[in-house]
Amino acid sequence: MRQGEPEAVCLSGIGLSLAGRKIFSGLELSLSERRIGIVGRNGSGKSTLARVMTGLLAPDSGEVRVMGVDVAKDRRAAIRTIGILFQNPDHQIIFPTVGEELAFGLRQQGRSKVEAREAVRAMLARFGKQAWEERSVETLSQGQKHLVCLMAVLVLEPALIVLDEPFTGLDIPTTRALQRHLAELAPILVHITHDISALDGYERAIWIEAGKVAQDGPAEVVLAQYLDAMTREDADAGAGLAD
Amino acid sequence: MERNITLIALFAALIAVLGLVPKFTLMSGIPITAQSLGVMLCGTVLGARRGMLAVLLFLLLVALGLPLLAGGRGGLGVFAGPTVGFLVGWVVGAYVIGRLTAKLTSLPLGVAAAVAAVIGGIVLLYIPGIIGMTIMLDMTLQTAFLSILAFIPGDLIKAGLAGAITASLARARPGIVATRPAG
Amino acid sequence: MLALVSPIDTPYHRLPAGLKFGLLSLATVVLFLLGTVWAQSAALLVVFALYLVVGMDFLRQGVASLRPLWPFLLLVGLWHFLLGDPAEGAVVCLRLLSAVALANLVTMTTRLDDAVDLLMWLLAPLRRLGVQTGLIAFSIALVIRFVPVMMDNARRLLESWRARSHRRPGWQVIAPIFLVALDDATRVAEAIRARADLSTYNADE
Repeated sequence: MRQGEPEAVCLSGIGLSLAGRKIFSGLELSLSERRIGIVGRNGSGKSTLARVMTGLLAPDSGEVRVMGVDVAKDRRAAIRTIGILFQNPDHQIIFPTVGEELAFGLRQQGRSKVEAREAVRAMLARFGKQAWEERSVETLSQGQKHLVCLMAVLVLEPALIVLDEPFTGLDIPTTRALQRHLAELAPILVHITHDISALDGYERAIWIEAGKVAQDGPAEVVLAQYLDAMTREDADAGAGLAD
Repeated sequence: MERNITLIALFAALIAVLGLVPKFTLMSGIPITAQSLGVMLCGTVLGARRGMLAVLLFLLLVALGLPLLAGGRGGLGVFAGPTVGFLVGWVVGAYVIGRLTAKLTSLPLGVAAAVAAVIGGIVLLYIPGIIGMTIMLDMTLQTAFLSILAFIPGDLIKAGLAGAITASLARARPGIVATRPAG
Repeated sequence: MLALVSPIDTPYHRLPAGLKFGLLSLATVVLFLLGTVWAQSAALLVVFALYLVVGMDFLRQGVASLRPLWPFLLLVGLWHFLLGDPAEGAVVCLRLLSAVALANLVTMTTRLDDAVDLLMWLLAPLRRLGVQTGLIAFSIALVIRFVPVMMDNARRLLESWRARSHRRPGWQVIAPIFLVALDDATRVAEAIRARADLSTYNADE
């Protein structure tokens, strides 16, 4: 961990139970790097962590601060600070046209129609998709829908974006294209995935196991350990499907 | 066959989901959530017969003891309660909404669906609803009517939304709205 | 999916569902015939005792499930009081409480599969009229399978709203909830067609 930089994300004493199951207890995490990967197997709690980090899920105890904002309590400020990109665009696109989808968050922040439209057009232009403004979301490919979701997050200019397995189910060229877009982004990225190759060039990686930090450190080191552990389990045939 | 059964089960499940999710910015109050909007959409999207069957299937699951009514209510108790007439009204309403949406071909789909939802989802829903209240609560028709007047504005908004949502579903998935197969 | 069956084990759980349902129907008819405050009070006391013999926790559950009734009790009470006939109001309120509490008692002590079995038995005569009652059982299973999946999808869309707005979700979320569900339905229909022929479906086989 680098010293002397302000903490972008600080989780302190996070406790959370969902449907009677304890997910986190006393979880501590502070992030200040620009590219952070979070890995872990299915059900390790990493997706829940994404929701807690963005304030979508309020912890039972403890506090989450992103750029100093208490994201669970101050939703208005949270939305300006942190964005989240989910796995399946069909589960996040709300409006029928690309323009409306991109304008939604801006309008909710109280920007005027004209202001929102200008910001939407600038965002579309940045990705060379000026023609998409009136386009129906239904006519887009899965990869294009992913890009719409990314633009809908970026247009709000968050300082930090949480990516919750955004490449699942995408073909290789689409994944690469989206990855290229992400690599060029200014905001801090916290990328939650079980696909290690998506974390190429990342500074830090955190391995989550049963709601706890199992390993934390430079990405290459942690990811190598993680990969090693997962392949070793793989030899024990069907471990991932065991009861 | 498979498609019909699946769609009927799907819409029955959607009525449940609309009752279980947190309230939308429509109206607040005990019996009113997006759930009755789901019933209207059964009629406007699935058509009279399948829409009615979806509502019946939903009520059957409630009677069997699943907490699928808004606010997590369910079981045989709701059929012994004062609002039982409205549940009957849902079945009649979904059928009539389906018939009317299909009949009013001279109107654009959204408008036809909204008009049908007002007639089937409000007028025809309230008749058995009010009769049920007079029986269960031993009231006169007028008192029963007056006591539910407050819900009519919210239901009018919902009928409008049912029209808008039906039109947007038809736009997104041409051919899915049975009451207007031509799109 | 959570059913309304009480986790507290009671002797009522072991009674046949058909018997409970029959007794409930009978009791409900009797409740509508009792016209005096005394008779209705006695009836409510019996219902109260039916809960109480199991234990305080069970009674508390029973009382909690009556909570949605209070606006109606208030309405009826007030209306009859204003009419100058409080006795009539009391009869209606007591009857409502007993009838709903009894029906809840059956629901709280009847497991879902027993309830479905009873339903199939009640529907059996329809088979002679050509109704495929097996399809009804199949549809019930489908809905029970669909609800949690669709709840999950709906929750994700609501999250997507909350990630970009500090306000309560608006009605605009409803259309995408339906669209995602409709797409799922297409896939489920294909999966059913791949494994079963519903035109000859029979639940007994």
